[in-house]
Amino acid sequence: MNVTLTLLASKTVAHLSQMLGRGGGGALPGVVAEKLDRHLSGKLAAGLSGGVIVVTGTNGKTTTTKLIGEMLAARGMKVVTNSSGSNLKRGVTSALIAAADMGGKMKATVGLFEVDEASLRLVAPEIKPTQIIVTNLFRDQLDRYGELDTTAKLIGEGIAATSAELYLNADDPLVASLAKYAQKAEDVHYFGIEGVPVNPVGEHQTAIDSDRCPECHTRLEFSRVFYGHVGHYRCPKGDFSRPVGEVVITNVETADRMGSRFVAAIRGKRSTYNFPLPGTYNLYNALAAISLGAGIGVGVELMQQTLAATMAAFGRVERVEIEGRTLVLLLIKNPAGFTQVLQTFVIGREAVRAMFVINDLAADGRDVSWLWDVPIEALAGSNPTVLTAGIRGTDMALRLHYAGVESRPAASVAEGIDALVAATPVGETSYILPTYTAMLEVRKLLQSRSKTMQEMPR
Amino acid sequence: MSQTIVIAHLYPREMNIYGDMGNIITLAKRLEWRGYRAEVRQLEIGEAFDWAAVDLVFGGGGQDSGQLAVGVDLLRHGAQIRDMAKAGVPMLVICGLYQLFGREFVTAPGEVIPGIGVFGATTRAGSVRMIGNVVAKNDGLGTLVGFENHSGATKLDDGQQPLAKASKGSGNNPKGGYEGAVTGEAIGTYLHGPVLPKNPQLADKLLLAALKRRYGVQELEPLDSSFEQAAAKVAATRPR
Repeated sequence: MNVTLTLLASKTVAHLSQMLGRGGGGALPGVVAEKLDRHLSGKLAAGLSGGVIVVTGTNGKTTTTKLIGEMLAARGMKVVTNSSGSNLKRGVTSALIAAADMGGKMKATVGLFEVDEASLRLVAPEIKPTQIIVTNLFRDQLDRYGELDTTAKLIGEGIAATSAELYLNADDPLVASLAKYAQKAEDVHYFGIEGVPVNPVGEHQTAIDSDRCPECHTRLEFSRVFYGHVGHYRCPKGDFSRPVGEVVITNVETADRMGSRFVAAIRGKRSTYNFPLPGTYNLYNALAAISLGAGIGVGVELMQQTLAATMAAFGRVERVEIEGRTLVLLLIKNPAGFTQVLQTFVIGREAVRAMFVINDLAADGRDVSWLWDVPIEALAGSNPTVLTAGIRGTDMALRLHYAGVESRPAASVAEGIDALVAATPVGETSYILPTYTAMLEVRKLLQSRSKTMQEMPR
Repeated sequence: MSQTIVIAHLYPREMNIYGDMGNIITLAKRLEWRGYRAEVRQLEIGEAFDWAAVDLVFGGGGQDSGQLAVGVDLLRHGAQIRDMAKAGVPMLVICGLYQLFGREFVTAPGEVIPGIGVFGATTRAGSVRMIGNVVAKNDGLGTLVGFENHSGATKLDDGQQPLAKASKGSGNNPKGGYEGAVTGEAIGTYLHGPVLPKNPQLADKLLLAALKRRYGVQELEPLDSSFEQAAAKVAATRPR
C-alpha cells in the first residue's frame, strides 16, 4: 500500500478518536497503519534529515528524552517525539504519522523516541536510529520480559540491527557490556559519575540486580555503589571493568529535595550545572542528556540553560498546589526507582505523610512481588502518616505491616487524596507514590482540584 | 534469653528474584511477633556451612546466569540436605531452587544439570513461559495464592506428592493441574508473590515444624492476620 493511503487511513482514525473524546488516539493510528504497511515507520523516519535519537533502559527514559527534547528545541530544531505511555513500536509509528503530511513528508527534522527495552529490536531495524542511549537496567515488570539477562540480549539485538552511535551508562555493568553489539568500537561513548553523596538506606539493602561480570559471571568487586548495582566495579579475574567515561559528573556540590548543583566534564573540560530535579537517579538522566548533547554538538551554555529551566516529566516529581498545601507525585515502577524515591524524599524526614497507590494492570506489571524488594523498613520509627490505595493497595499495606509501618487503607484514591490533604498543614508538603496507571488516575483527580495543575500540559 | 530458630537462606545473592526476600522477612517477623528470635544464615557459593545448627531451610528463584553457578555448588551440600529432609527439617524452595531440589534439570540444548533429589521431579527448559496469578488448593492448608513466572516444565515422578491443585494458572508445567511438590516437611513451589506473606498458614506450618523439632513446641500462638487475608483475597480475584 502506498504511504499516502496508509497515512490517510491512520490519520482518519486519530481524528475520529479525538472527536470521540479519546484524545489523539495514542498508539491507535500506529496500530492501524502497521496493519496496512508494517514498514511505514521506516519510510517516514527516512525523511528525518537530522537523525533519529532513541532512549531505552529501565528507568529514566522519559526524563532523559524530555531533557534532550528541550535541548534540541532550544537549538531551534523541529523534533518529532513520542509520549512515555506510547513507547512500543506502534507508539513510535503514531508519533511519526502525526508529524507527517499527507504525502509522507516530515514536518520535523529530528526524531527523538523513548523505546521500551523489549521493543528496541522491532523498532530499530525500521527507524534506523543514529544515536541510541541506554540509561540503566534494573528488574522491571519481569513478568513481561523474563529476566534481566534476557532484557539485555533483546536490547543488544536492537543495537546490532543499526549502525548507531551508542551512549552507555559506564556505571551499570550490564549496560556497559552492550558495547559489544556496536558495529564499530569508536561509535561507543560512555558516561559516568565519579562522586556523589550517598544516603544509606540502612541495614535492609535492596536486592542487587546485576552484580556479575557480563563476561565470566564472577561476582564483580565494587569500590563505590551509588544505588543498586550502579557504581564503580571491576571483575576480579580482569575480564571486565568500568569503562572510562567521556562525559562524567566529577562532583556534586549541593543536593537536596529541590535539586542538585554539579560539575560535569566533557572530555576533561569542566562546567557547572544547576538542575532542579532531585536524586541521584535524576543526575544520571541529566548526564545522559549532556553526553548525547556533547556528542551531537550542543554547546555547554545551552545545555546549562536547558537543564536549569527544566520541569519534571509527567508524574515524576510533579508538584501540585492544593488548598495551600503541596502534593508531590513520585511515580514508582520497580524496586530501584522506588528505593531512590524513598531515599530522596521520604527517609530521614520529620513528619512524613505519604500515600502509596498500587495497581497491577498490564502497564504497571501484573506481579506486585517487587514491593518486597524495597527497603521500606527505613520508614519505621519515624511515625509517618501512611495511606494505601489502588487495586493492590492491600499488598502495600501488608508490606508496610511486615516493615513495622502502620498504615490505613483509603476507601478510594479520591478519599485518600482528601485524607492526605486534611493531614497536611497549610504550607507543608506530602507525597503520593503511584504506579503507572495509578498515576494517571491520581493526576486526573488532582486536575479537578488544583489550578496550577490544570495549566500543566500533558 | 528467647528461643532462636536458625534459618538457612540458600544463595541469597544469586537467588533473590521477584521479592523472594519477602519470605525471609515473613518467617522472621512471625517468629518475633511470638517472642522467638530468628537468625538468618546465608549460604554463599564456595563457602562452608554449619548445617547442624539449621532449623529451617529457605531458597528462592534467580536469573539463569546465577542458577547455573548455584546448581554446581548445591551438589556439595546435596547429601546433607537430603538427610535433613528425611529427618523432618522444614524446607521451602521456590522456582529455581525447587528445580534444583528435584532429580535433574535439562537445559534447552539438552545439557543435564543434576539436582539434589529431595523431590522426585525432573524439569525441562521449555519455550512456553508460564506467567501470571495462581490460585491453588492444598487439603490441609486451603487456598494458596501466588504469582508464577517460569519456563521450566516440571514433571513429578509417580508417587511424588504435589503441593496443591491449581485452579488458576499452570503450576508445575503447561499442561496445568498440579503445583509444587511435598516430601515430608520439605515444600517446593513455583509460587512467588512472595508466597509466604499472603499465605501465612504455609509460613506457620514451616515455623511450627521447626519449633517442634528444636524446642518441642506443640502449637503456635495465633496472630491477627487481617492484612494477610485482605491481600490474599484481592490476589485470588486478579485475572490470570
